[in-house]
Amino acid sequence: MTKVQEKHQGFEIKGCGKGKATWRLYTQLCKGCGLCLIKCPINKKGKNCLHWSKEVGIYSTPAVEPDPALCIACGTCERLCPDSAIRIDRD
Amino acid sequence: MPSMLTIPPRLPKAQNPDPGASKFCPGCGHGMILKTLASAIDELNLQDRAIYGCDIGCSLLSWNYMNIDTIQAHHGRTTPVIYGITRATPDAVGIAYMGDGGGLAIGAQHLVNAAVRNEKMLVVLVNNTNYGMTGGQMAPTTLPGQVTETTPYGRDVEVTGKPAKGAEMVSAVVDTEAAYVTRGTVNNLRQLKTMMKRGLQNIADGRGFSYVEALSVCPLNWRTNNVDTWDRLDEMEGFFKVGELVVPQGLEGVK
Ligand SMILES: Cc1ncc(C[n+]2csc(CCOP(=O)(O)OP(=O)(O)O)c2C)c(N)n1
Ligand code: SF4
Ligand code: SF4
Ligand code: SF4
Repeated sequence: MTKVQEKHQGFEIKGCGKGKATWRLYTQLCKGCGLCLIKCPINKKGKNCLHWSKEVGIYSTPAVEPDPALCIACGTCERLCPDSAIRIDRD
Repeated sequence: MPSMLTIPPRLPKAQNPDPGASKFCPGCGHGMILKTLASAIDELNLQDRAIYGCDIGCSLLSWNYMNIDTIQAHHGRTTPVIYGITRATPDAVGIAYMGDGGGLAIGAQHLVNAAVRNEKMLVVLVNNTNYGMTGGQMAPTTLPGQVTETTPYGRDVEVTGKPAKGAEMVSAVVDTEAAYVTRGTVNNLRQLKTMMKRGLQNIADGRGFSYVEALSVCPLNWRTNNVDTWDRLDEMEGFFKVGELVVPQGLEGVK
């Protein structure tokens, strides 16, 4: 039997990808591993796009969030997150 | 800012949404590999034919990860359990998912013989260079000099030999016209998905044995932070060459 969950704890950052995408984080899935921070291509260029959030994840450790002015909505963080805590959609 | 989102997380159909967060440690490579496997199953539309087996080791934490029929086997015995199932159910696409301890130490004889006999099954072997579940002991794949619970001064190859190269070992014994053998990495999940798809398609076509080794990360037992975890994986890629070793005709089109 599949449980239907209609609401999911988390937050969204609008205006990513030059204002065309929304970046979402599910706090019940993010374990705060920080692996995504290292692979964000904008962070790799020395900028501070994806960073620790004031919000916490499932283990009460910091979750992550992008700076919408810098995030290009490339999907790298979504693809690699071991727990599928990130979801990016074109608006 | 904490709120409720009405849009659900994006999970592959072949992944079970009910358990919520996986049972793996933060940053574990198993989650990356399994979600990639589930996406590959989705893209080939194999959810109804797939049967998933997990080993003892951290792989067993995936007993309810997949949205497909699942069986959990004894340590190293997932390979024979799955080919037993696929022999009895020829249409099934059997997947045996295991760690490097399960596949290359205690279960090595099963892996070798399944490969030699061209069993129609996919082995996914997660190479994290240690025994994750039992606390990070040396595995056959532990790198030279690597510190583990049982090699506190670093692995000494004079005493314990060089690391086992699973994909090369399997390549040496398979039927090269029927089998698919490859090594991917969690550094490149797009490539790993293509490899998973080729491995699965080879079984779905009834051609032969498939082996996908995935270089993975175990931040808990490596005691690494996020930077060092990725650096260690780069070091592993220097030792275990990433790429396809055996590709039978007929799989070139699978991307
Ligand atoms: C027959 C048998 N021998 C030993 C064990 C103890 N044991 C449990 S998990 C494990 C190793 C798991 O390591 P690996 O296969 O590399 O998978 P990982 O946990 O790293 O994913 C061992 C030796 C067991 N459960 N059964
Ligand atoms: S979003 Fe995913 S990859 Fe990033 S810290 Fe959270 S669990 Fe780790
Ligand atoms: S979508 Fe790309 S640019 Fe935006 S935070 Fe994720 S990795 Fe960085
Ligand atoms: S011990 Fe290692 S392999 Fe096992 S769940 Fe934790 S990080 Fe993953």
